Amino acid sequence: MAAIVIAGASRSFGPVRAVDRVDLTVGDGEFFTLLGPSGCGKTTLLRMIAGFCELDSGEIRFGEKRIDRLPAHVRDIGMVFQNYAVFPNLSVADNVAYGLRARKTPAGEIAKRVDEALALVRLAEYGKRKPHQLSGGQLQRVAIARALVIRPQVLLFDEPLSNLDARLRVSMRAEIRELQKSLGITAIYVTHDQEEAMSVSDRIALMNAGRLEQVGAPADIYRHPASRFAAEFMGTTNLVEARALGREGGLLSLRPEALRLSEEAPDAWPRLAGSIVDLEMLGPITRLGVRLNDGTILNVATLDVPERRLRQADKVTLAYDPARLTVLR
Amino acid sequence: MMLSIPHQQRLPIAIAALGLLFLALFLLYPLFNVFGASFLDSEGGALTLGNYAKMLGRPFYRQAIVNTLGIGIAATLITTLISIPFAFALARLPVVGRAAILALASLPLILPSFVSAYALVLLFGRSGVITQWLQSMGVGFGSIYGAGGIIVVYVLTLYPYVLLPTVAAFKAVDVSMEEAAQNLGSSPFRTVRTVILPIVMPAILAGALLVFIETLENFGVPFVLAEDMPIFAVEAFKLFIGETSPNPSSAGVLGVLLILTTAAVLVVQRHFLASRRFATNARRTPPVLNVGWGVQAASSLYCWAIVILALVPFFAIVVLSFMEFRGPVLHGHFSLDNFSPLLGRASRPFFNTLIFATAAAACATLVGVPVGYVVARQRNGMATLLDVVATLPFAVAGTVLAIGFIVSFNSGPLMLTGGPLILVLAYTVRKVPFTVRSASAIVHQIDGSLEEASISLGRPPLQTFLRIVVPLMLGGILSGAVLTWVTVASELSATIVLYSGPWSTLTVVMFQSLESGGAGVATAAASILILVSIVPIALLYRLVRRYELD
Repeated sequence: MAAIVIAGASRSFGPVRAVDRVDLTVGDGEFFTLLGPSGCGKTTLLRMIAGFCELDSGEIRFGEKRIDRLPAHVRDIGMVFQNYAVFPNLSVADNVAYGLRARKTPAGEIAKRVDEALALVRLAEYGKRKPHQLSGGQLQRVAIARALVIRPQVLLFDEPLSNLDARLRVSMRAEIRELQKSLGITAIYVTHDQEEAMSVSDRIALMNAGRLEQVGAPADIYRHPASRFAAEFMGTTNLVEARALGREGGLLSLRPEALRLSEEAPDAWPRLAGSIVDLEMLGPITRLGVRLNDGTILNVATLDVPERRLRQADKVTLAYDPARLTVLR
Repeated sequence: MMLSIPHQQRLPIAIAALGLLFLALFLLYPLFNVFGASFLDSEGGALTLGNYAKMLGRPFYRQAIVNTLGIGIAATLITTLISIPFAFALARLPVVGRAAILALASLPLILPSFVSAYALVLLFGRSGVITQWLQSMGVGFGSIYGAGGIIVVYVLTLYPYVLLPTVAAFKAVDVSMEEAAQNLGSSPFRTVRTVILPIVMPAILAGALLVFIETLENFGVPFVLAEDMPIFAVEAFKLFIGETSPNPSSAGVLGVLLILTTAAVLVVQRHFLASRRFATNARRTPPVLNVGWGVQAASSLYCWAIVILALVPFFAIVVLSFMEFRGPVLHGHFSLDNFSPLLGRASRPFFNTLIFATAAAACATLVGVPVGYVVARQRNGMATLLDVVATLPFAVAGTVLAIGFIVSFNSGPLMLTGGPLILVLAYTVRKVPFTVRSASAIVHQIDGSLEEASISLGRPPLQTFLRIVVPLMLGGILSGAVLTWVTVASELSATIVLYSGPWSTLTVVMFQSLESGGAGVATAAASILILVSIVPIALLYRLVRRYELD
């Protein structure tokens, strides 16, 4: 287990700067997520750590040890791939034993550790099966067991859940988080799914066009986005000119849940008058589109209140929590 | 130097370097010598263009160019015109026995074409079985020698090159294309013409190109059927054998012209196809059309007629090989005499054939698999260069490559002439394009993250290649090796230039007895060749079936 230090890492593919002077420190035992849209450089950065992508400049260290010049096979990293990458020609147990055999671990110990690893991912009875007899979720568990069993310094996840269906994704991400915490292994996790990132991570690095946009705890980034990109990528938000709210300053971010209908809000909150142009009942919450008198449209998310009667074109008064305004420029 | 190469690049670069070294020595160097020979005078001393002037100045060789191109174009056109309706019928019409037709239609690809030509001579030649029978009834017919016979044999042996990719292309047209066209008011006939044919056209052209190149390079068929008609590949061989001066300048000129023609055709094809690549990723395979029994019967008849016609010559050879010959004259008795020398006291060529084919298949696989892996996985200049060089033998006639081998390896540190190794190396080089293509096609289907998983689990790239990639490729490697083995066993054009002394093969035996008129031994050798071609393929087919059932 080790802290990971990335200093000034850069890589270009032709004219494109895939990773642009990235500095990061991931703490020992931390669950760290690289989050961003496709093409933002998060996978390239992960592959740099794994050793599948050279750095043009900069360096990567595990603790004190510099690893970016080491070949991938001696870096002692467990990696979990998007498409599982379970060897189709080997049984489940042989897949899990693969890394141990490469390390010339004694046969008796291999058997013991493979059993433990399979039990850990709840596949104890599946050792003799071939990969084609397993479901997607089971394959991903095999891949995780295979990465864990070598007791790596670092675990890397490259969008591990994106090939699974929605329901399984939610349960698997909890499982991954739990495993990582119980073993205390430093983990770096790549995803483009903001919700997934928020649910599993200790900290998130939001990436855009090869650069770090913002690094912080999920709640911090969500509540205090540092840029327009961060505000928009981390969930939905209202980007409004300060003038529209009768304030000074430039562009503001106001989350839909920081807005309420006037009668359901504290008296101290400022009021805004408008009319409903859009109404979506989604079950636990109701989404409203409200056009203010100056034409600005605000999205509002309110919890469902059964006695409320709202209709399209109704005049409404909104209230917002001034503490949850973020000034972007 | 090594330090500046990224770790994950070292294995591919090492493979590419070794592959290029091998091809430079056994492909580029011999070809360079053929080029060189064509630009040097007969003593090999001074640079000259005189050889070209001399050769192109003679009507005989100009005629050879016209004949070769004319026959090639005619054979390609006829093959294509026959194969398109054939392919459409197989893909879209309720043809009777479709699976059987498809299996039988690929047989000509593995059977030696000159055997088919030879069968034609035995049946319809001057003293042919059917000719004599017809003559005894007072019926005569035109000669099968010359352009007509050659074209017939080409069409019957090369049609699968167009048929098979075109069937696949017809099946790959998504039904929604057709439905869209019809929905927009297009009649079925217009839909075929304006939507379907353009989509399958690249496949048709690619196949037609293969046919054309095969006709340019083919040595055996014109050798058997051309008689006095000059044909490129044959004349290059005759010139080389007859050339007494130390420098094979005349053969060199023909060799260079042949290579340039093939290269020009390939370039034209690339340009033409570059702008016509359509993604045909059928989500729904087009259905078999509902047609009346009349169309069904006619299309079935058409397909079966071609398939059977193409295989009749081979069947006839096998039957004839069990009959008694006195010289070229056939007697109607059953006899095993034809086989006794080949499998008895003169069995050496038979075993040579098996040994050479095995050695060449092993070498071509050993070169082709790693090279195919690099070509499929890498996107850099070196991989592209490797791809181009490894495809080059495809454009070089066997005769020409063999002449280059003789010129290059008859002295000096790499003296190979007169031995068996030169044959094995020539076969290997000739088959490398095929093994590289088939290997890279398999690698494309193996997910790259499997290798990365293995490496990050602690296996270095070379071990990963051997433990993960090779096992996953095994089925494909085996099929490729068997096909290589089969085609090497019936290789004629390079063999005939390179063999010497005790190192003759079954094809050489056939070739020699053709010249000396010993039809009996020739038919026996041909039969054994047919057997040697079909048995491994059948075994492979069963093996694959069993593997798939497992």
